[in-house]
Amino acid sequence: MSAPAVSPTPGPEPEAPEGPEAQVARAELILGKPSFHDISHVVSDIVERKAPRAWILLFGLAASVLLILVGSLTDLVGVGIGEWGVNHPVGWAWDITGFVFWIGIGHAGTLISAILFLFRQKWRTSINRAAEAMTLFAVAAALIYPAFHVGRVWFAYWLFPIPNQMNVWPNFRSPLLWDVFAVSTYGTVSLLFWYVGLVPDLATLRDRATTRVRQIVFGILALGWRSSHRHWVHYERGYLIFAGISTPLVISVHTIVSFDFATSVIPGWHTTILPPYFVAGAVFSGFAMVVTLMVICRKAFGLEHVITSRHLENMNKVILATGTIVGYAYAVEFFMAWYSGSPYEFFTFINRAFGPYAWAYWTMISCNVIAPQFFWWKRFRVSLPAMFAISIVVNIGMWFERFVIIVTSLHRDFLPSSWGYFRPRLVDITTFLGTFGLFFTLFLLFVRFLPMVAVSEVKGVLPEADPHHAETDHG
Amino acid sequence: MKRLVVLQDTTAWRSLEDREQACGSGEVAPLDAIDESVSRRSFLKLMGASVAMSSLAGCHRPAEHIYPYGRAPEEVVPGRPQRYASAMAFAGTAFGVVVESHEGRPTKIEGNPLHPDSRGGTSAFGQAAVLELYDPDRSRTPLERGEPRSWDAAVAALRAMAEKLGDGKGLAILGEAHRSPALAAQLAALKQRHPAVRIVRHEPISTVNAQEGARLATGRRLSPVYALDQARVILALDADLLHGEGSAVKHARGHADGRRDPRGEMNRLYAIESAFTVTGAAADHRLRARSGRIYALALAIARSAGRPLGVELPEPGPLEPEERRFCEAVARDLVRAGRQALVVAGEGQPAPVHAVAQLLNLALGAGGTTVSWVPAFSDDPEGPEALGALTRAMQAGEISCAILLGGNPAYSAASAEFATALARVPLSFQVSGWVDETSQVASWHLPRAHWLESWGDVRAEDGTWSVVQPLIAPLHGGRTDAEVLEALLGGTRSAYTIVSDTWRATLGTQFTAALFRRVLHDGLLAGSAFAPEVVAAAAPSLPKPAAQAGLELSFRADAHTYDGRFANNAWLQELPDPMTKLTWGNAALVAPATAVRLGLADGDVVELKLGSGVVRAPVLRMPGQAEDSIALTIGQGRSRIGSVGDGIGYDVMRLRLLGAGFADGATLSRTGDTQRLAMTQEHHRMEGRPLVREATAKQFEEEPDFAKEPDREHPPLFNLWADQPQEGHRWGMIIDLQTCIGCNACMVACQAENNIPVVGRDGVLRSREMHWIRVDRYFTGSESDPQAVMQPISCQQCEQAPCEQVCPVGATTHSPEGLNDMAYNRCVGTRYCANNCPYKVRRYNFYNYNREVPELRRMQHNPDVTVRTRGVMEKCTYCVQRINGAKILAHQAGHDRITDGTVISACQQTCPTQAISFGDLNDPKSAIARHTEDSRRYVLLEELNVRPRSSFLARVRNPNPELA
Repeated sequence: MSAPAVSPTPGPEPEAPEGPEAQVARAELILGKPSFHDISHVVSDIVERKAPRAWILLFGLAASVLLILVGSLTDLVGVGIGEWGVNHPVGWAWDITGFVFWIGIGHAGTLISAILFLFRQKWRTSINRAAEAMTLFAVAAALIYPAFHVGRVWFAYWLFPIPNQMNVWPNFRSPLLWDVFAVSTYGTVSLLFWYVGLVPDLATLRDRATTRVRQIVFGILALGWRSSHRHWVHYERGYLIFAGISTPLVISVHTIVSFDFATSVIPGWHTTILPPYFVAGAVFSGFAMVVTLMVICRKAFGLEHVITSRHLENMNKVILATGTIVGYAYAVEFFMAWYSGSPYEFFTFINRAFGPYAWAYWTMISCNVIAPQFFWWKRFRVSLPAMFAISIVVNIGMWFERFVIIVTSLHRDFLPSSWGYFRPRLVDITTFLGTFGLFFTLFLLFVRFLPMVAVSEVKGVLPEADPHHAETDHG
Repeated sequence: MKRLVVLQDTTAWRSLEDREQACGSGEVAPLDAIDESVSRRSFLKLMGASVAMSSLAGCHRPAEHIYPYGRAPEEVVPGRPQRYASAMAFAGTAFGVVVESHEGRPTKIEGNPLHPDSRGGTSAFGQAAVLELYDPDRSRTPLERGEPRSWDAAVAALRAMAEKLGDGKGLAILGEAHRSPALAAQLAALKQRHPAVRIVRHEPISTVNAQEGARLATGRRLSPVYALDQARVILALDADLLHGEGSAVKHARGHADGRRDPRGEMNRLYAIESAFTVTGAAADHRLRARSGRIYALALAIARSAGRPLGVELPEPGPLEPEERRFCEAVARDLVRAGRQALVVAGEGQPAPVHAVAQLLNLALGAGGTTVSWVPAFSDDPEGPEALGALTRAMQAGEISCAILLGGNPAYSAASAEFATALARVPLSFQVSGWVDETSQVASWHLPRAHWLESWGDVRAEDGTWSVVQPLIAPLHGGRTDAEVLEALLGGTRSAYTIVSDTWRATLGTQFTAALFRRVLHDGLLAGSAFAPEVVAAAAPSLPKPAAQAGLELSFRADAHTYDGRFANNAWLQELPDPMTKLTWGNAALVAPATAVRLGLADGDVVELKLGSGVVRAPVLRMPGQAEDSIALTIGQGRSRIGSVGDGIGYDVMRLRLLGAGFADGATLSRTGDTQRLAMTQEHHRMEGRPLVREATAKQFEEEPDFAKEPDREHPPLFNLWADQPQEGHRWGMIIDLQTCIGCNACMVACQAENNIPVVGRDGVLRSREMHWIRVDRYFTGSESDPQAVMQPISCQQCEQAPCEQVCPVGATTHSPEGLNDMAYNRCVGTRYCANNCPYKVRRYNFYNYNREVPELRRMQHNPDVTVRTRGVMEKCTYCVQRINGAKILAHQAGHDRITDGTVISACQQTCPTQAISFGDLNDPKSAIARHTEDSRRYVLLEELNVRPRSSFLARVRNPNPELA
């Protein structure tokens, strides 16, 4: 969507109503009327100028936390899973909680880049690159858990269907195996989608490069992009196809992750509501994470006019919508627990709300159901401090949601004799903390070395890119 | 080496061999040394020493003798275990056992089906005894004041002492309450040579009260022998006769046999007790009463029975209405049962209670049917008075030499200040398997051979005479009590000769080599039980019941360590107490109402004072505990036993006057400290779930299908997967909750058979215990007066196993015979299977539990079962190794099927009550197939449609309609 490009379906927005109301509704996506060059410059300059001191400090901090992860995993692999607090009724705790948490966060990226693309939500262009990057890094952080939660990490590759002389295959009935396929597909597609979207911008960086090293590196990464019309045609088509492939993945990944629980026999896990509930929750947490990151980035890198208040407000609306869906799911779960007539199921939910883990349940309710309700008011939707706080609270709540689902269901299931209680140990905490180190290290590297805003796409939503822009007044 | 041996008698020179024995096989002692030394200096010293030692080791290794069979012994097939009969002397009787030995290593103990005190079953203690043999902390060399000596030096010291003995006036021998005729013969020989020697018997948990009670009741010191299988109505007066006391295995079996078929006549068990015991849980009616109140209640029952006792009983004093109702109903029931009634008083109850119980038995005509009296094994003085007199003599300097044969009186007689008394004896020899509290005070410590590695003999409670047969040469060169006395007497006979000489002398012309072989084979001498004595009631004058005041403390044997002897046994320490489910320690059990009154919560550390004794202990609220009575267990809090038992629990011996079962007038104060209690079960109610199903006999008669009743409607069960094949063998297990008393013997049997690791107190606190079979204990009824039900749970071997479906690597799969198999080497350890198990029977190796297991202890491992590594899931396999072993044998014999009864799972084999049946559900003639027809059979969590192969027979209680 660079200068000569037009949107794949040119013409007026199909849903755009005619008349003055429509003109009122049309706010400008990018503020300050920047030129194409301004956009290229403001984004590329972040990558090209010397690293700011703040970045170095933050990177040092994130890398140190990453080292904590390395240390924790070394201890875990060296000594045993017993270093975590998991026990006999509670075989999964912070590990799978962390896995679902990070995978959920990843959802926003794909949703923004694929689904919003298909729905022609142009406001996505300012944030999709960073959101996609966040997806990848969240998937990377998530993958730490399935890889390392197994007792014998060195045999974890047995989960892949690798042909072998013994003709031993994984168990295709196991949701954990479906997870392997779902998450690896998701990770691969997200990576390719992200990379394809990066190609024109990498070419921009190549062209702007002043050093030999940058020329070579970006030259290789840009895959010979010359911005020819033919390139753009292929690119647009490819991008559309990727968006098409990614869209079902947004739904499928978390659906399959929820199958880990939904297909089991454990009360609290064995429910059909989990797939939609998980997807909504994932989008909820993912958007919250994007808001958290974007509020920081736009300030830190002076991108307020590119990532505008409107972008943030739109995301806050999504947070409000999905948060309400999640709240509804909590209520339906309770209703179904009663309606099912299964005393085990009913007990599990009573136990969630009033049992030993009630504190976790009410934390979840407060963070996920109550906190986003502030976004009914525009004042909160556009207030940076409010949205920053709420977005963090939402992610805390979503972590607790997974904890509540996993741990409170396991800790008291069918036979009261085996009921127990899970307490995290030091390595549980350091491992989880460490995944943040991994995430932020990767994210900081990304913002430092790659264009964090999709330059070419943003140009595509500038008024100049619209052949009809002269017909309406965007003033 | 030979050159060095010459020098080893001189005390100035410690031979290399001595030095080596002192530090054992070189595996354990150096590690201990590292633990103790922390400073840099000592670390460097140790490094230097280890360099020196490693070069020394090059020229002198521990003497190991590995001989190939020059001539293969008959019937030894490598890979196939041998079994030998032996007997374990324990708890005032002997348990006949059959020990399994793999290539010369005893690995597993089973009950001897021929032995009256085992009848094929064992207790948890019997199962765990094999681990004791391989305890790395066992003593390895004689010690003189802590310095290692050779056996020759020790024998020389014994001889030197013996030569100065004269008539033996200064010599005291303090032994356990042994029942070994060979040892008795040695003691008799000693007494003949030194007539003034003082021989005293001592046991912390003793049967002396029963004997004294018999003396009161009949005028003669006799031991009662009970036949519960003959009894219709049984009254246990503070007696845990099914689990904690005496011939518990026999009693449990007899009790179970009397109620196995609820369609037929069922016996009825009443328990009056202060602490909630296994017997109380098995009872049809249980009355809570302070231990000190039992005497009055026994008197009330005896007087209500209205039978001529031939003796005037004292007034029981005022009774509560509930007590009166209970006592009168029990008395009527006893009278109705007549000859088939049985009254048993607990070991902790004083002689008058035993006297009343035995008078009642006599009056009811039970003598000869449910109870018989045999002579006490020994006339040597036993009991608190005898030990007290000996201690005073030692204090007074009258004893110049003491020989302690087993036991640990410095610990168990702490309240009598035995240790300080022993320290005043100039020369003392202690024969003990461990360097323990008493070894610290005795001048000589001599390592005692374990009963699995030495010759001996023992007579059971009823007199049945067995040979204790060694399975292996003494691992650490220990000797038996009889051998030590032999050395004292200047003889050179081996333990074997001492035993066979005793048998020859006792049996006279009857004794032949063939007979002795027969005895070794059978494990007992047929018909050797004592002839019952004909007894009549004497006219005792019994004391009036004393008034109760203040807090009462009651003492009983610890479920883990008994009297402390098993304190270093990790299996037993980790085996939950059957009632409290507490592991790795003990607690002061307080009734919930008393706890409320005193403001106590679980884990509060309190200070208990009684007389001059003060003990700090954590509190555990125990439903069913009598109010204002605090139950304590003896046998924990050992200060010197070994790496497992040191400092576990708390020691109450200082509170307990010698031999006392309970005492009044204790004070309790809170210290403000708390302690976490390591329990394997933390929730004690069924929450209305139909897990253990039970009915009364009347309900059962009206509705025989009560257990099958669906407890709630559920949708039609739909199967997502193809049905499992039902041809060939179809293994299944049925556990009869009617007879299961929850004694936990199956848990240890499983642990021994399947190489199950222990996880320690910390592991239990983190809910990581590894038992493949556990016994769930639930309380029903009110908190103050609950009933308890037991339910052993192991893998239910579901046909549509939820664990199999979710394993991503297919490490747990279904066998064609219906076993839910675990392929350990395929397991990657996602724990998904355990999460998805509705019965929560899967066990995960959170750590490499087998890595730190000492080499010696590994000798116990069953070679037929894989030892699992960390990160791997494990669970009950229905003893698949036994199934496959039987299949191989059947195949060799040309059969295509295994006949019923050839495969016996470890839990089934050891079960004292035969509550577990296992076999082929496809074999219509099998015992288990018969049980499947039982209307009491039900499947746990049937509505999940996982189709377990294990199922349960519901429990039927037999309450007295008068008390209903």
